[in-house]
Amino acid sequence: MDDHYPVPSAFSLLNQMSVASDSPVHSSSSDDLAAFLDDELETVEEVEIEEASSSKGECDHPGSFGNMCFVCGKKLEETGVSFRYIHKEMRLNQDEISRLRDSDMGFLQRQRKLYLVLDLDHTLLNSTILRDLKPEEEYLYSHTHSLQDVSGGSLFKMEFMHMMTKLRPFVHSFLKEASEMFVMYIYTMGDRPYARQMAKLLDPKGEYFGDRIISRDDGTVRHQKSLDVVLGQESAVLILDDTENAWPNHKDNLIVIERYHFFASSCRQFDHKYKSLSELKSDESEPDGALATVLKVLKQAHALFFENVDEDISNKDVRLMLKQVRKEILKGCKVVFSRVFPTKAKPEDHPLWKMAEDLGATCATEVDASVTHVVAMEMGTEKARWAVREKKFVVHRGWIDAANYLWKKQPEENFSLEQLKKQQGTEEE
Amino acid sequence: MFFHIVLERNMQLHPRFFGRNLRENLVSKLMKDVEGTCSGRHGFVVAITGIESIGKGLIRDGTGFVTFPVKYQCVVFRPFKGEILEAVVTLVNKMGFFAEAGPVQIFVSKHLIPDDMEFQAGDMPNYTTSDGSVKIQKECEVRLKIIGTRVDATEIFCVGTIKDDFLGVINDPAAG
Repeated sequence: MDDHYPVPSAFSLLNQMSVASDSPVHSSSSDDLAAFLDDELETVEEVEIEEASSSKGECDHPGSFGNMCFVCGKKLEETGVSFRYIHKEMRLNQDEISRLRDSDMGFLQRQRKLYLVLDLDHTLLNSTILRDLKPEEEYLYSHTHSLQDVSGGSLFKMEFMHMMTKLRPFVHSFLKEASEMFVMYIYTMGDRPYARQMAKLLDPKGEYFGDRIISRDDGTVRHQKSLDVVLGQESAVLILDDTENAWPNHKDNLIVIERYHFFASSCRQFDHKYKSLSELKSDESEPDGALATVLKVLKQAHALFFENVDEDISNKDVRLMLKQVRKEILKGCKVVFSRVFPTKAKPEDHPLWKMAEDLGATCATEVDASVTHVVAMEMGTEKARWAVREKKFVVHRGWIDAANYLWKKQPEENFSLEQLKKQQGTEEE
Repeated sequence: MFFHIVLERNMQLHPRFFGRNLRENLVSKLMKDVEGTCSGRHGFVVAITGIESIGKGLIRDGTGFVTFPVKYQCVVFRPFKGEILEAVVTLVNKMGFFAEAGPVQIFVSKHLIPDDMEFQAGDMPNYTTSDGSVKIQKECEVRLKIIGTRVDATEIFCVGTIKDDFLGVINDPAAG
């Protein structure tokens, strides 16, 4: 066997270098040693490089650790993508990333799993700085759970971070069930210590996320989230986040979830005039809340993806599955909009029109017998009056928004224009 | 590899430390300043073993500080390319595994792990041979060969391989 990395024998080194016990008291020893070692190793390295290039062929430099290629050890300039969340010195080049993603597909197929990237704030939990707690929230101090054993707890106080965190109802069941269908990542705009601490609360055993915790310190573009540092094919990744604009390049992978505002400071941050859950001493429903709803959607998309047991999944795309699930929601509805869009623009371009179509509804600009719903903001319009005459549903746009967030067609009575007037009335008061 | 060498350092001392305990103060400050640090040439200073000499102190203009050139013996740890080391595995993922040998952090890429070892994900990720006889997981001891080193101000990073003969798991904590 060829020894590719000959090392000067330790004995020869010892013989030649100034060992501390023998060294005379002058400044030669340490500098001499360092210089000597460098010389010895330079010759060794030269020999190695010749041997290496003749016997091994060119190295692809798939990535670097500490700026050294991790296959051949050669010093490299900073290239490729930084994977700080794995190790701060880890970088991978694009080919290696693709190779890792491809080789992964076999594993996903065998395990029947996909990838799920989870946001933290307002999605799985809500945090607040202790200083921002209002007097009505002081009662929370006596309800916090121990940090020594977080299982079963949902409200935590972290003095060392000056923070309090409330986990969203149903989050433990959500993570447990989702982990059976997905390999999960955390991707937050918080910093790394925050991300690690939240992971400890959600996943004390490290069984759900492992080292897959991406914080804003690990992202490649500021203020933006991307799948570039996720080691999975984009066709196999779903994302759960409360902020659509955080994912400008991956809107098709995204499931937008209703924001979880537990603390008053969170409501204030988003300009909500309403009282927060903590002030109302209330909370989101566990079985009917946003996470439970999203879990159902994830199950549906997952089931569609792995429908045919032996099918090669490298041709399947979970984004299409998600579109399919969404298109079932308002299937069979034909919607006409009345004075909802500004007249100058083309109605088909309006986001609400597109949302209705994504939800499976057919949209039209004129009424006819096949129309099922008229979306209006006031009763007096021609189309609204037509709808009442023909016994069609008249709803305000909230009906479509609700279907989008709740992944289910909502009862039209809850979105009637009388309801809207009542709501507006209370707001004015 | 470990080396026992003599290094020199200029130590600045505040006058409040002068007096009977001058030498002791100098030595304890030296230890505090130097033990646990790293340098490109010498590597990681593990421990000071003795003081060779302390030169005459030079009073600095303007302040009362005095600078003493101190020669001291110490044990240093500096890994070299080609060296064989034993390390403890700290993290295993699909890219390879990370291991530590004292203060040195080593990464062994999947490319340099024998081809017959496959990555197994799970709550205890590991690399296992097809017959399950050899397993690399967290807390395992492995013997690896260094193929590159980089020394930082405070840390040493190495890239290693276990693809050669006689390298790999030495001691599996899971087995018996």
